[in-house]
Parts: sequence; C-alpha cells; structure tokens
Amino acid sequence: MSNRLNINFLGKKLNNPIMTASGCFGYGLEYKDYFNPNELGAAVLKGITMEPRNGNSGTRIAETPSGMLNSVGLENPGIEEFKKIIPSIKKELHIPLVANINGKILEEYIEIAREVEQIEEIEIVELNISCPNVKDGGMAFGANPEMARLVTREVRKVLTKPMIVKLSPNVTNIVEIAKIVEEEGADGVALINTLLGMAVDIRKRKPVLGNIMGGLSGPAVKPVALRMIYQVSQAVSIPILGMGGISSTEDAIEFIMVGASAISLGTGMFANPTLPIEIKKGLEKYCKENNIDNISEIVGAAHPDGGAAYRNRLGGNYEIKS
Amino acid sequence: MFLEDVKIIENIQIADNYYLMRVEGDKIPEHSKPGQFFMLQCQDRSRVLRRPISLHNVDGNILEFYYESLGKGTEEFTKLPIGETINIQGPLGNGYDTDLEGKNIVVIGGGMGMAPIKYLIKNLKDNNKVTFIGGGRNAGAVKIIEKFNFENIKIEVATDDGSVGIKGNTVDLLMKILKDQNIDIIYTCGPHPMMEAVAKVAQENNIRCQISLEERMACGIKACVGCSILTKKGMKKVCYDGPVFESTDIVDLDVIDPNGGCK
Ligand SMILES: Cc1cc2nc3c(=O)[nH]c(=O)nc-3n(C[C@H](O)[C@H](O)[C@H](O)COP(=O)(O)OP(=O)(O)OC[C@H]3O[C@@H](n4cnc5c(N)ncnc54)[C@H](O)[C@@H]3O)c2cc1C
Ligand SMILES: Cc1cc2nc3c(=O)[nH]c(=O)nc-3n(C[C@H](O)[C@H](O)[C@H](O)COP(=O)(O)O)c2cc1C
Ligand code: FES
Repeated sequence: MSNRLNINFLGKKLNNPIMTASGCFGYGLEYKDYFNPNELGAAVLKGITMEPRNGNSGTRIAETPSGMLNSVGLENPGIEEFKKIIPSIKKELHIPLVANINGKILEEYIEIAREVEQIEEIEIVELNISCPNVKDGGMAFGANPEMARLVTREVRKVLTKPMIVKLSPNVTNIVEIAKIVEEEGADGVALINTLLGMAVDIRKRKPVLGNIMGGLSGPAVKPVALRMIYQVSQAVSIPILGMGGISSTEDAIEFIMVGASAISLGTGMFANPTLPIEIKKGLEKYCKENNIDNISEIVGAAHPDGGAAYRNRLGGNYEIKS
Repeated sequence: MFLEDVKIIENIQIADNYYLMRVEGDKIPEHSKPGQFFMLQCQDRSRVLRRPISLHNVDGNILEFYYESLGKGTEEFTKLPIGETINIQGPLGNGYDTDLEGKNIVVIGGGMGMAPIKYLIKNLKDNNKVTFIGGGRNAGAVKIIEKFNFENIKIEVATDDGSVGIKGNTVDLLMKILKDQNIDIIYTCGPHPMMEAVAKVAQENNIRCQISLEERMACGIKACVGCSILTKKGMKKVCYDGPVFESTDIVDLDVIDPNGGCK
C-alpha cells in the first residue's frame, strides 16, 4: 500500500482515514472474524458511562426505508469494567483507540473524562453530547449551545488527550454549536449522531420501539450529514470526523469532499461487515486514478473554493491546537 | 464464522407462507450447532439490515433454511430463483446444548419454531431417546414435519384446528408424556405463549428446559447491543449469548418478544 491514505488526525498518524462509529463496533474485536481490525485508521469504541447501564427495555431496533432506528440507550458495562478489558483489547488492536464518553449531568462528564485521561491505551476521546436515547443529559447537552459550551469547557480542563466533540444533528443551527465547542478547545468535531425519529407498528397500533423514539441512522440520513459537514467545515478551523450513512467508497469520497478529514462507519457495517476494507481499497484506487498523492488534498473539494481556505486553516498537518 | 455468497439450489413453498431454501457454499460451517442462525442479506439495499434465519439443517456443504414470508425482506427471499446467490453470515449464536448421552428428551417446535428443530433432532437422536412434539395453527404450519423423516423418533402432532394430529396444543401433549415418563430435558422453540407455557411446566416439574429467544437484530455479533435482554445473569445479547437460554435464567418470561417468541 502506498502512503496515499495516511493522514495526520489530531496529531496521530493514521494509516487511513477510516474509523468505526461508536456503538456499531462493540469494543473493537467483534468484527475480527470478517477483517483484520488493524486495517482501520482508528477504532471508536462503544459509548461508556461511569456506572454500568442496562439501556432501554423493549424492542430497540427497527428498520426504516434505507435506514434504521435504535433505542439502545447506552447500555454499557461502566468505566471500571472498561478499564479492565481495554489492556487485552490493546494487545490485539495496534491502531489508536478512541473512547466515546457520556454523562447524564455535567459532573458525570467531568468524572468520566478524568478516568479516561488515566487510561494509557486510549489515545483520543470522543465527547458524546448527542445521544438521543438517554432521558437526561445526552442530547440535551448537544442541543443547547450554552450547555454544549459548559460541558466542552469543563471536560477540556481535565483532558489533555485530543478531544473530538460529537454533535447532535437535532438542532436548528449546527454551525453555531460547532463554533462554540471549537472556542472551548475541541480538537475536532464528529458529525453526525443519529436523528431523532420513530416508527409505528400498524397491526399493534403502537410505536415499534420500546422507548417510542430512537435514533435514525443509515443511508437515509446521508444528505443531512453531508449538508452539516459542508456548513461546519466552512466555519471552523478544526478537523471533522464525518459519519451518517456511509456505505460505499463513493459515499466516503462525498464526505471527504464536503469537509470530513476522516470518516466513521456505522450502520453500513451491519449489512456489509467488510465495508472498511472495501472502502480502503476504493479510496486507494480513486487516488491513484485521479493522481491524488494524499487523500487530504480533497478535504473540502466540494466547497465553493475547492476547500483551499479550510485546508489552509487546518494547516497541512492538522496539528493539535491546544 | 464466515461471510459468503452462496448459491441457491432450491427455494420451494412448503405451505401457506412457509418456504424452504437450500443453498450451497464452498466453505462449510464445520462446527455449526443446532439453534445457531445466519444473517441473510437482502438484495434490495434499501433494506439495511440482514435477516436472522435459523439453521434448519446442514448436509455436507449444503445449508437449509426454513422461513416464513412475513414482511418485505422475507418476501424478497421467496422470489430468489435457483442459481441466484445470496450473501450469508454465520453460523452465529450459541445453539442448543447437544453434548448429551442417554437422556430422555422432549423436543417441542411450534409453527415457525420448527426451523431449528430438524437439525437439533439430528444431533440428539443417536445418543438419546428423543420424542418430538410439533404444533401449529393448521396443517400448513406442520407440513414441514413430513420432511423430517427420522427413524426411531416418536413424533406427536397437535394443531389448533385438529386438521392434523390431535386438536389441541403442544403443551397438552407434553403433559401427557410427563405422566408416563421421566423426562430429563425439554428443548423448545415456537411462539411466545407456547414457550412460556412449556417453560412453566418444565419449571414445575424440575426439568431442565432450553428455549430459543428472538429479538430484532442489527449486527448479529454483539457489536450493536440492539438485542440485549435482562437475565438473572445480567444483560445478555440474544445474538451472542443466545438465542438459546436456560429457561430458569430468564427473569421474566414476558421478556420474550410477544411478536415472535422463538424461531
Ligand atoms: C435468532 C433468530 C432466528 C430466526 N430464525 C428464523 C427462521 O429460521 N425462520 C423464519 O422464518 N424466521 C426466523 N426468525 C425471524 C426472522 O428473522 C424475521 O421474521 C424476519 O427478519 C422478518 O423480516 P421481514 O423483512 O420479512 O419483516 P419486516 O417486518 O419487514 O422486517 C423489518 C425488520 O425487522 C426485523 N424483524 C422483523 N421481525 C422480526 C423478528 N420476529 N425477529 C427478528 N427480527 C425481526 C427484520 O430483520 C428487519 O430488520 C429468526 C429470528 C431470530 C432473532
Ligand atoms: C445501534 C447504534 C448504537 C449507537 N451507539 C452510539 C454510542 O454509544 N455513542 C455515540 O456517540 N453514537 C452512537 N451511535 C451513533 C453512531 O455512532 C453514528 O453517529 C450514527 O449511527 C450515524 O452513522 P451511520 O449512519 O453510519 O450509522 C449509535 C448508532 C447505532 C446505529
Ligand atoms: S444484534 Fe447487535 S448485539 Fe445482538
């Protein structure tokens, strides 16, 4: 393999810009029967909270046209168990591991950030302020600009590791919130989390999901994700981890062209467990055929100026600012 | 575990909405167990999730699936012609415990719950005494039993309308058997009310009982946490820790999806 796909993301050298989406890749080894997870650029692990959580009860998954709804509700074993399993995962996974952290209240976000800061094997932290499936906290932080400011600021104080803030698409003005988290020291933003939605079982005359509403993901949300990344990348100077319905090489290129420096794969992996390998080969081929020395040259290529201004703001290396 | 395009060599209607699909692959799931399942990909890619379907039988490099056309995805499967390929992922899940010898076993399948039963009986029959109870709404729901053709297996059938076997249900037949015999283990797969009743009878009689649960699944490999249920041993993934559970580990039998029960 050539160096065409190597990127410098938040100061980390990644073999390629392909990551997994939190909540869709377990704790990193679940897909190893289908491909070598070390072929990824980085692995974003299932969201964790301080305490173990059972998540929501009832049906948690529904298929919708070109998408799916989930109302998992952040079921996870809690930080103590996470700390125990991470070293064994790191033995097999030699790529950067990204922890996705969540809280119900501000103090919990700070507390878990402190814990993750101490875990040597975690290189990057994704601050999730956008989960639509937990009653308190979660999306409330991502949907309110001042809450987003507060949680980013306070977590930044205890976190020296590179931090990506994962934003909620369930807002009117995504650009405003992205700029706020940038101001408060986010090293990057992740776009998009799921869109709040629902489905109804007409035979039972009831919502399909036990939690009534859930998060919509998959190809159905791709146009929304592209639009948001396009808008945000023209307003900020930090890299974007793009996701939302990527299921082919062409999709991945679209995301990069609207301004994503790296991409995450979620729902697309369920239908096609070897999708990361397919996209990796596809991107390599695309670069070769189009005489692109490095994939980062096309970040923002679909901007009115071809992305030059954004790439300039990012700096050639996408170095960590703080 | 494998992910492969396999060739459809047969795809026939058994009755009503019940179909049998036989596929042939290069790689054979050497260590597959009854009760395990595969995730079948739909051709229409607007259906982003695979469909979990149990292993009905394995014969060399041929796999059999017994399925019901229920919604858009399974309806699509019924239209696949011989020679077409379908991408399958599996075998997944834990499967029934078949590591037994000299036991007196009752296997109960209801309706679509007959899906994993053929392979289960095949694995148990040589070393154990097996009685099979099959049940369903009508003749169509039990027609698949004609294809079981096992020797030395006692087969009892019940239908709701009495069109085949006795008029009644599988639990009636189970109660009759329990009167005359000491049963060591009961295996069951079928609709929710049936499994619940079977599990209760088993519990009352102190008989070990394995049931196969069903939940909506996205990944099938414990990566999405979509199919979790609360058990006495904590949160478990139906796709990975199950679909087969000891009935006594289930906190509340109501957790079984009332839509489907087990298939
Ligand atoms: C472990 C396991 C083994 C199964 N084995 C069999 C089998 O051998 N034969 C068989 O006919 N059926 C089996 N089922 C049920 C089968 O998966 C569903 O009937 C099928 O997925 C319905 O898809 P559809 O597109 O026709 O329905 P739709 O309602 O259009 O499906 C929409 C979505 O809901 C999911 N879904 C709907 N109903 C169910 C259900 N009852 N269980 C799980 N997911 C569901 C589908 O996978 C799909 O993602 C099994 C289910 C599980 C969990
Ligand atoms: C089953 C499921 C679970 C998810 N869990 C999390 C999570 O724990 N934390 C998080 O930040 N995002 C979570 N997400 C959102 C995804 O990471 C991603 O942002 C979203 O699904 C859009 O990408 P996709 O369309 O490629 O799936 C989850 C999504 C799905 C489908
Ligand atoms: S289906 Fe994803 S965890 Fe079971």
